[in-house]
Amino acid sequence: MRTYRRLMGFLRPYRAQLWGSLALAWAGMGMTVLIPWLTGKAVNAIKSGNQPDLLPLALAILGAAILRLGLIVVRRVVAGKVSLAVEFDLRQRFYAHLQKLDLGFFDSQQTGQLMSRATVDLQSIRFFLGYGLIFITQNLLTITLAAVVMIVVNPLLALFALIPAPFVVVAATRYNLVSRPAQQEVQQRIGELTAEAEENVSGIRVVKAFAREEFQFQRFQRAVGRVFDQSIYATRLQATFSPLIGLLPQIGIALVLLVGGRQVIDGSLSLGAFVAFSTYVAMLAGPLRSLGMAMGMAQRAVASGNRMFEILDREPAIQSPPGAPDLPPGDGSVELRGVTLRYGDAAPALQGIDLDVEAGKTVALVGPSGAGKTSLVGLVARLYDPSEGSVRVDGADVREIDLGSLRSQIAFVADDSFLFTATVAENIAYAHQEATLEEIEAAARRAQADGFIRTLPDGYETRVGERGLTLSGGQRQRIAIARALLADPRILILDDATSSVDATTETEIKNGLREAMAGRTTLIIAHRLSTISLADEIVVLDGGTLVDRGSHEELMAGCGFYREIAEHGLADSVFIQRDLEEREEMAKL
Amino acid sequence: MNGGIGDVRRLFSSLWQLIRGQDQRGRKVGWMIGLLRPYRGRLILMFVALLLETGAGLAPPYLLGKAIDSGIQTGDVAALDLIVVAFVITSVLYAVSTYAETYLVGWVGTRALQDMRERIFSHLQSMSIGFFTRRSPGVLISRMTNDVEALNQLVTSGMVTIFSSTLTLVGVVVIMLFLDLQLALITFLTFPLLAIASVVFRIVSAGTYRATRERIAAITAHLQETLSGVRVVRSFGQESQHMATMTELNEQNRDVNMKTVYLNASYFPAVELLAAVGTAVILLYGGSQAIDGAIQIGVVVAFVGYLTRFFEPIQELSQLYTTYQQGMAALDKIFDLLDTPPDMVDAPDAIDPGTLRGEIELEGVWFSYAEDEEPTEDAWALRDVDLHVPPGQTLALVGATGAGKSTFAKLVARFYDPQQGIVRVDGHDLRGVQQRALRRQLGIVPQEGFLFSGSVRENIAFGRPEASQEEIEAAIAAVGATEFVAALPDGLDTEVGERGIQLSAGQRQLVAFARALLAEPRILILDEATSNVDVRTEKTIERGLERLLHGRTAIVIAHRLSTIRRAGKIVVLEGGQIAEQGTHDELIAANGPYAKLYGAWSDSTAA
Repeated sequence: MRTYRRLMGFLRPYRAQLWGSLALAWAGMGMTVLIPWLTGKAVNAIKSGNQPDLLPLALAILGAAILRLGLIVVRRVVAGKVSLAVEFDLRQRFYAHLQKLDLGFFDSQQTGQLMSRATVDLQSIRFFLGYGLIFITQNLLTITLAAVVMIVVNPLLALFALIPAPFVVVAATRYNLVSRPAQQEVQQRIGELTAEAEENVSGIRVVKAFAREEFQFQRFQRAVGRVFDQSIYATRLQATFSPLIGLLPQIGIALVLLVGGRQVIDGSLSLGAFVAFSTYVAMLAGPLRSLGMAMGMAQRAVASGNRMFEILDREPAIQSPPGAPDLPPGDGSVELRGVTLRYGDAAPALQGIDLDVEAGKTVALVGPSGAGKTSLVGLVARLYDPSEGSVRVDGADVREIDLGSLRSQIAFVADDSFLFTATVAENIAYAHQEATLEEIEAAARRAQADGFIRTLPDGYETRVGERGLTLSGGQRQRIAIARALLADPRILILDDATSSVDATTETEIKNGLREAMAGRTTLIIAHRLSTISLADEIVVLDGGTLVDRGSHEELMAGCGFYREIAEHGLADSVFIQRDLEEREEMAKL
Repeated sequence: MNGGIGDVRRLFSSLWQLIRGQDQRGRKVGWMIGLLRPYRGRLILMFVALLLETGAGLAPPYLLGKAIDSGIQTGDVAALDLIVVAFVITSVLYAVSTYAETYLVGWVGTRALQDMRERIFSHLQSMSIGFFTRRSPGVLISRMTNDVEALNQLVTSGMVTIFSSTLTLVGVVVIMLFLDLQLALITFLTFPLLAIASVVFRIVSAGTYRATRERIAAITAHLQETLSGVRVVRSFGQESQHMATMTELNEQNRDVNMKTVYLNASYFPAVELLAAVGTAVILLYGGSQAIDGAIQIGVVVAFVGYLTRFFEPIQELSQLYTTYQQGMAALDKIFDLLDTPPDMVDAPDAIDPGTLRGEIELEGVWFSYAEDEEPTEDAWALRDVDLHVPPGQTLALVGATGAGKSTFAKLVARFYDPQQGIVRVDGHDLRGVQQRALRRQLGIVPQEGFLFSGSVRENIAFGRPEASQEEIEAAIAAVGATEFVAALPDGLDTEVGERGIQLSAGQRQLVAFARALLAEPRILILDEATSNVDVRTEKTIERGLERLLHGRTAIVIAHRLSTIRRAGKIVVLEGGQIAEQGTHDELIAANGPYAKLYGAWSDSTAA
């Protein structure tokens, strides 16, 4: 009930329109109920041979119909506006809240789950608030009006005519409740089938390599069979309920024929009233059915509302304190004091880390996966807050300064850089949208990206990202470098490539990085020797603790763990991939 | 409402094409009907049910009129009771036949479409690897999923609508004409109005509904992207920019939906008005006739009842337009795929070479991924490669990205055929060998171990599902994965998720190694198999490698010097050609490209 009341809160701004559309709906329904009554009158006029009454009655029917047309058109437009406005508000509110939530929240949620809140749940709430409520009141009113008219005209006949009514509502509600999950299960299984198809297309090399075509076909057949079985179940539900719900009002009409017919014969009921009665019973079928549907809608909306509020009620864990000052001026020194970081109940990702990075210096973080490198750089940008200890940038505790001012001074370049579906120019200007094309091109040149961008189909206007042109990892990384350069941050955070790129690209990336690092503090998550060589100092992490730090030579001499990593762990791709020309040129020097 | 007129024109031009058979729709529809053939029996039953349903659906207004004229007006209670009984029987008959019809149509339609899915799937599987690299995976998947779903509408509801609406319409017209010719003709006057209004509405709204689907798809895509890129959004602090984009998309969605509100708000009430006009006309004209005694009063009442039954099928038929268009578009796409003949099918006289010794030979091999007959000079991935690998030898391929290392391996697996020259295994030209007989004896470990959803056990036994528990455990032990598997929540039965997402990249690679080993391949191909794993996994695999390479021919494309140094033969590829070959010591002594690469490596570790 609480969820229900909160959902109704979304309608509050549109109270006036809502009442207006209800009033229009009621008036329209009044007309709908009036028409069979007038028809009945006409039948009586026909029966009594009252020719002169016929024209006025026909005109009255026409008049009522035209009036109803006007009322319904306005009602539909007003209600449609409200429904769309509610949908708009809901989506804005949900999206705005997502924008405020911290990364920790997104790490703990599956994207698919969030997407389903934003699509399926939002849809069922908006259907209920936009249409369901109006349906319920409108149908209740139609049923009440028709019932009242019938009872006034002939209470006994009305009783017989209305016997099936509750059964229709119950059956329709029940159908709505069982058919929805059945349909969703069909969709779910189609999803599984899609995944199966997807795996086979993506993994076709493996299938062919192991000559397992038949086996995979059987797997696919099983998925197809599951879709079939569930579809048939859903079809059977429809095949059972739909005719049943249609049959019930027919029984009402049969009762009217049986009882009403006798009343007409013995003269206690006029023929016109009899015709009107049978029309009413037929007319009630629709509203009764959609009343049931709307009841199901309400139940689903409450369930969806609960899921939706679960997210909307979640307080963002990372926020600027009220009135927080901006990041003080400085050159980007970083200081971690006794930092421990835990995600949920898991073992700490970082433990007791003390680290000072002087402004303008470059520090490489080295260690096996799971050592805590990514967590450490995340703390600097305050993507997470440490469970213990403090993180300071230019002397200020990051929890005490304005979040926007902090993050605008930090830029990330990841090995698998995420680009948005937008043009290359828009992606580069992501954090600095007022940038001119000249500035964008200058940044791209410095990042060694200008060359390949010009060879793209539309140059800087080429759309890239998930729904655009697919770029190679090396190309994405250089665009990300340009993006970071244009943001002109104090602190740069790099995550270098674990996957292999060819020699020329590697050289270009390295040159781009060198350019990007000039004059700022840089933290590098390093996987290869060539990037480590860019650093002033190397920090070795293992299992969330700081093992050692120093220069490459110092660590090779004094740190066994580092030597192990350097000799076996780092991709010595240089061996294979540095092209010969470069070698020869270097030999000349 | 944009595109309304264009859509009308398109409808006519597609009808014209259908008549002239230009887009082979006849053939495609014929093929679809062929899919239904195995279910003839059910289909016939369905038509019987449909006939009964339509007939029973038409009875109530007639019976109501009869009840008034023959029962009530004449005071004949027995006749009234009889008619009520008939009324109840037809109503029940209607319900029962509707059940049968809905169920049978659902069954036959769904079954036929699942058959279609399986046909598309097996057709896809018969295509060569080259085909898959040329086509976008999303498009291929969509053929089996979305496009088949779009046809579902046409096959199930489309089929029923055509028959039941036409039958109902004909039935209503016949009954009305039979009841009273004049009154029927006057009632039919509403027909053209309704038909025109409905067709125009459907065509205009089809465009608008398409626009709403596009808008909501744009919102979903934007949301999806913001969620995938949430780290970038947060780290650059660009939340307000995304909020602004969302607001804009949200507004567009609202506005385009408002158009559908206007459309529906004008069409549906207009139909209701038309029905009321019809009622008024029937009452006025029919009423006068009844007063004059020309017709009976029950006929007038029956006419009023038939009016709505006359409106429904017209509205439903007009809806077919959209269904037809979407279904046909999907069918065209599906046929585009089915009409592509499989390339690289086994020759009819292809042999099964039996157990291979593992001897590989390339003779004057030229290969290009370009499909042209005469690729340009740059397009050759391999140029004039001659190479002999004796059984049991480990061959290491060295060279820059794009030098042709992976291509070499793919030709040995016969994922492609060379444009010139011959690839032989055990002396057989691969073009004369059954593909599956060859591949069953290959073990390939690619750069990224691709796993299928299922358990770890199923994935390891992928190449040999009949393998025993002991054999699986031995394979796991051989690649040094025992510890990692034991640490999984359900051990061997742990579900790996789609594409193995529940495992780390290194763990996936270990499973891929065990999978290749369990298949007991005669030829093992490691294509940069260890470049994506971390230090510890790398070391474990190194240890298992010895066991893996023992007693079989192997082609190794690797970054690690240790692996390369151990190889029986090292081949350096440059621009698709063999630059030099020999053992590690021979090549160092020769002081050629390999020696230089080696020098570069030594420098960088010392740096």
